[in-house]
Amino acid sequence: MKLKFRRGWIAAALLLAQGGAAEAHIVAARLGDFYMGALHPFTDLQDVILWTATGVLAGSLGASRGRWLILVFPLGLLVGLPLGRIFGAASAGLADAAMMLAIGLMLAAATRIPTSALCAISFGLAVMRGAANGADLGPDTDRVLFAAGLACVGYTIITLTMALTVVFRGTESDGSAPWRTIAVRALGGWIAAIGLMMASIVLAS
Amino acid sequence: MSLRMFRVISTAIVALALTQPAAFAHDQIGVAGGLFSGLLHPVTGIDHLIAMVAVGIWGAQLGAPAIWVLPITFPLVMAIGGVLGVLRIPLPMPEVVIAVSALVLGVAVATRLRLSFPVAAVIVAVFAVFHGHAHGAELPGSANPMAYGVGFVTATGLLHLGGIAIGTLTRWPAGERVIQGLGAGIAGLGCYFLAQGLGAIA
Repeated sequence: MKLKFRRGWIAAALLLAQGGAAEAHIVAARLGDFYMGALHPFTDLQDVILWTATGVLAGSLGASRGRWLILVFPLGLLVGLPLGRIFGAASAGLADAAMMLAIGLMLAAATRIPTSALCAISFGLAVMRGAANGADLGPDTDRVLFAAGLACVGYTIITLTMALTVVFRGTESDGSAPWRTIAVRALGGWIAAIGLMMASIVLAS
Repeated sequence: MSLRMFRVISTAIVALALTQPAAFAHDQIGVAGGLFSGLLHPVTGIDHLIAMVAVGIWGAQLGAPAIWVLPITFPLVMAIGGVLGVLRIPLPMPEVVIAVSALVLGVAVATRLRLSFPVAAVIVAVFAVFHGHAHGAELPGSANPMAYGVGFVTATGLLHLGGIAIGTLTRWPAGERVIQGLGAGIAGLGCYFLAQGLGAIA
């Protein structure tokens, strides 16, 4: 009896360990296109890196300059989304790489760009990435729901990344360690390096 | 061990083995494959690994500004080499220069070589270009190239930071000796790879 009990436990533990994600219902039904819009950027590394880089850049410039992006970035995504049908996803690779390189270099050099330039860069980037996300839409997709999902996740990612960067860097008055500034700049160097690699891959292909 | 216990353990091992998914070894495909290949590439090549760690240690030994300039600029300079590799622009004797990099950096760490920052930066930059070239030239065809780039830059940066962390041992006299021994080991491995690159040993 004791042996059977142990075997039962082992079998139950194995079954639990082997279980995968349920992936049930929500994406394919009713408000599914909203969730599709919210999840779509996470399926593309360009979105993940560029959105994060923009948030970190805004955060590194301080809350007073960066807070404009909370409005500007989702707006850019919404403007870019319909353009995806016209331009498609083609030839966006080099522009993405150039953006990655530029933002990375600005972070690495700790450039203090004005608020207007920050807004212009992030708006341009959001339009580009909005178009790239829009290019993948099928004819059955509810575009309004997709746009709402995309704008919501754009707002969330930019706000969170920016806030985390502001908190991480701290302020000069609270005596934050200088290594935090160096860490943010090093991250910029890494992002620029990825952009440079990506540009060469696009040019070579 | 009792017979019952033996049976339970053997049942568990057999059940675990039978319920494992396929390994999908060797051919790294897609985004996950590219990321995996990029992360592993600098770590699995021992000549790359020791050189990257040595750069970090030497940076820590040199102190400011090298200790903070190197993590910011090194991946970028290495990516320039990666660009040359991806575009198939050849560099002279890449394997030999990579081996020489391990030897030179190992000697620099072992002897606590104090060079002016610009000279040290130029030496490290030249080696970084050659290391990046090797990574770029060996970009796997089936994997997602973007993900490979992310993985390779991240792994290189982390190795570099690991070297800087090891380099902080220089604050203690015993740690200093450990680091010098480590430098000598890196230089020895560099000699081995150099002999291999020149065809002196198989």
